[in-house]
Amino acid sequence: MANSLQRQLRDFDWILLLLAILLSMAGLLSIYSTGLLQEGLAGHNYFIRQLIWFIIGIALTIGVAMIPKKVVFNLAYVVYGIGIIALLAPFLVNDSTGTHRWVRLGGFNFQPSEYMKVIVVVALAKYFSDHHRQLQQFKQLFPPFIMVMIPTGIVILQPDLGTALVYIATLIPILFWAGIRPLYFYLLLAPIVSMMAAFNIYTFFAWMAILGLVLYLGRTKLWFAGFNFILNVFLGGLTNVLWILLKPYQQQRISSLFNLDVDPLGAGYQLIQSMTAFGSGGLLGKGLGQGTQTHLKFLPEQHTDFIMTVIGEEFGFITVAAVLLFFMLFIFRLISISFAARTRYTSLVLFGTAAVFLFHMFVNLAMIVGLMPVTGIPLPFMSYGGSFMLACFLLLGIAQNSLSGNRV
Amino acid sequence: MLQDRNVLEYWRKFTAYCLVILLFSILGGRYYWLMIASHQKYAEKATSNHIREVPIEAPRGVIFDRNGKILVDNKPSYSVSIVPLEIRRRPETLTLLAKILNTTVDELKKTIKRYQRGLFVPVKIRGKVPIDIISKLQEHNLELIGVTYTIEPTRFYPSPVQLTHVLGYVREIDTEDLERLDRETYQPGDLIGWKGVEKYYESYLRGTRGYRYEVVNAYGQEIGESDWRKPIRPVAGENLHLTIDENIQNIVETELGDSSGVVVILDHTNGEIVAMASVPGYSLEMMSSLLTPDEWRKLLMNPRKPLYDRALQGLYPPGSTFKLVAAAYALENKTIDPKKTVLCKGSYRLGTRSFGCWKEGGHGRVDLEMAIEQSCNVYFYHLIQDIGLNPWAEMAKKFGFGQLTGIDLPDEKIGSVPDSKLMDRKFGVGKWTLGNLLNFVVGQGEVLVTPLQLAQYAGLIAERGKSTEPHLLKYVTDAEGRVVFSYKNERHTDLVLSDTTWAQLQNGMYQVMQSAHGSGRAARQKNWPLYGKTGTAQNPHGENHAWFIGFSLDPDLPYAWAILLENGGTGGGKAAPLMGAMLRKISKLKAPQILKQSVVK
Repeated sequence: MANSLQRQLRDFDWILLLLAILLSMAGLLSIYSTGLLQEGLAGHNYFIRQLIWFIIGIALTIGVAMIPKKVVFNLAYVVYGIGIIALLAPFLVNDSTGTHRWVRLGGFNFQPSEYMKVIVVVALAKYFSDHHRQLQQFKQLFPPFIMVMIPTGIVILQPDLGTALVYIATLIPILFWAGIRPLYFYLLLAPIVSMMAAFNIYTFFAWMAILGLVLYLGRTKLWFAGFNFILNVFLGGLTNVLWILLKPYQQQRISSLFNLDVDPLGAGYQLIQSMTAFGSGGLLGKGLGQGTQTHLKFLPEQHTDFIMTVIGEEFGFITVAAVLLFFMLFIFRLISISFAARTRYTSLVLFGTAAVFLFHMFVNLAMIVGLMPVTGIPLPFMSYGGSFMLACFLLLGIAQNSLSGNRV
Repeated sequence: MLQDRNVLEYWRKFTAYCLVILLFSILGGRYYWLMIASHQKYAEKATSNHIREVPIEAPRGVIFDRNGKILVDNKPSYSVSIVPLEIRRRPETLTLLAKILNTTVDELKKTIKRYQRGLFVPVKIRGKVPIDIISKLQEHNLELIGVTYTIEPTRFYPSPVQLTHVLGYVREIDTEDLERLDRETYQPGDLIGWKGVEKYYESYLRGTRGYRYEVVNAYGQEIGESDWRKPIRPVAGENLHLTIDENIQNIVETELGDSSGVVVILDHTNGEIVAMASVPGYSLEMMSSLLTPDEWRKLLMNPRKPLYDRALQGLYPPGSTFKLVAAAYALENKTIDPKKTVLCKGSYRLGTRSFGCWKEGGHGRVDLEMAIEQSCNVYFYHLIQDIGLNPWAEMAKKFGFGQLTGIDLPDEKIGSVPDSKLMDRKFGVGKWTLGNLLNFVVGQGEVLVTPLQLAQYAGLIAERGKSTEPHLLKYVTDAEGRVVFSYKNERHTDLVLSDTTWAQLQNGMYQVMQSAHGSGRAARQKNWPLYGKTGTAQNPHGENHAWFIGFSLDPDLPYAWAILLENGGTGGGKAAPLMGAMLRKISKLKAPQILKQSVVK
């Protein structure tokens, strides 16, 4: 027994865990700082809770890594089904806030949508391991597409647009890594570009010209090319309809990205304050507990989505750059062992893991400095929140799990 | 299957690495731009975010009379301000605030919009708030986040005298002023001198605003005083010491009562105005508190025009007081023999028109001295024809008519002295006649003067052509009592006439008071020789205006004066007795040196 556990952990990648621990500690330090000005222990409530989750998280990673890989692989679709049911569960409870994100389980609130991210990665990896040979056919792409669209649809209804995007953002890199033909990959990405380009009539026409050219040069069948082209035009038109259907606060988040000062107290307020925090931090920062933006409560949600602003304001550009570097090393490490992986399943799980983490990191770090709309995507390992913290370590555990038996 | 081998093209790995590097480069570049390149800008922004500059208003200078009695002082009053940011966060605050301040939400919003200077800077929404409203605000402290109240100095008037138009008042600055004025010194919501010496000496009276710096959190709540930005203390405005004598002013205002008119009394040796009243006036106390639109309309529409300062803005025909101009010219230029007589039969015929004398039966044969003494029109009708329009107008201008006296008050009017140029312009060349001239010489028609000009004119005769421009300021002191500015009493010679001319003019005015038929005899004082001239100006809009001007040569009471009673009747019958009553009271304050007046014959 001990022997088999040892074998299971033989391929455990300690570098990944070490980077995750370093990043978590940077997050803990920031959360500690946000509580500094409050009296007594109450101010450190967040810090203590996060610390507990962090310790549980490490245990979770190692624990999950010790599960036989075969079990995870075989149960992937079953767990996927359970995950979908869990996603629907919040809708059964009548919530006064009109949101359906949380499930109460044994005295804990948790967010099924966070764990669904992990499940989607495993399910997709399993599918593409099982259907390796057939991937040259376009129709083989429909099952994984459906597999992603179901949780995406549910989470949009919760409503949580940011998390919903994570599932789509997982599918695309996995398709790429699974060895899909470049043309198919291009055609799969085309609708997304079409919808974005539709915000402006000129970019839309330019994009349609490029699309037509690629379809022509790709020597696809005429009916296929025609269908694809019409689909893209249709989706472009749909964008405007969808825009109207967006909740006003979602619209405002997107438009505030382009003009911060239009509504300095609404959606733009957070951004102005967070950019002020970063900008005033300078090279070396103001020092632990000295951030005025942080401590005078100019920053909303500073311990969750905006956790990085605390680092920026109090520890400066040097520390921010160091954190960015750690994140990049973390992703590089995942990609590099994924490429070198012996089996296709391992490779896809690791790459999917890299995609989920990269999406979170980039979207979060970009939105808090005004490069992207404020979507409510937390920063892996650093943002305060039990569900998310545990989901991150769970994903890391699944990645470690897939590594077992990698070296023969 | 689980054991399927991983066979990936190398370019896919390369593309993935490139994408990761690209994304992190974008982030790195953005963070560099934000934290290093734009550090200065955001550092300042972060500071202004949480340090709130709170102005401390400086008290305006105090205004004293010539004897050191306080005419205008300051007292503390409450003002209510609001931080605009808080209103945007919690609009319901306004509803409660409007209820407590007894106004509407719209009204408050308008005020905030007008005076707003930024989201974090408190906007003053109400001044002079009574204490019971402040305590109500205090009760609702927790619901009224962002509402602050401060104590600031406001004007109050402890003196028994009104001095309405002399003192003037302060009012809140408006956007037009702000465009004109220095933005550093003046800010929206500030008070500025608007009338009277409050306006004219604004630069002395205005203090320098101070500031304190408080640390606020994101909710705009004060956390404490900033420990690194030291407060700047306000500097009180400088104090004005006026030439006004509160006692004399009080006598004048009491005697004028509720008539419509003007009294100006000045010291002819140095131009200092000791009393100046234009009635009816208005309450400065009321003006300096919040005036309702209704009260303001009432003041504006009042047919007796309390808002306007008759002493230097009222233009009136001077009537017979103006005859001395023609007399001075005739005496100096020997146009006539002063002993030569003219027969007055009560009226004078020129062509088809008849010009009356005030005495219907006529004065009989009168010489110059008698003509002045009894104010005979007919004598002057003859005289002006010998002088001619332009030489007469020249003389009137030398006496200060048709030009500013130079008093240190805003918005003085110049009046008008008609000469041939003006008459040609007004009626056309050759379209005006000798008849107009006969009107001018007795101070009617196009001749328009201010009461202040007439007082100056009386003073000029007393001083034999030398004068200092009439003024209200003696000196200015700072908060420690040091004199920072003194009014220069520069005497200048305005008018050179021979001593005999002056003596004869003065003698004429002396006879007006002393002789049995003198038109000013009603103002005569026991043991105090006075010189005077009455005037009754015809007024197309109603009753005649009553004038009485004069002076005293007593070294302790060196006063020259002009009194006007609008629609008051005759100068001799109404203005002179009232002035006499005032002079009697004044002489009780300060006994005149009884001088043996040797009147030059």
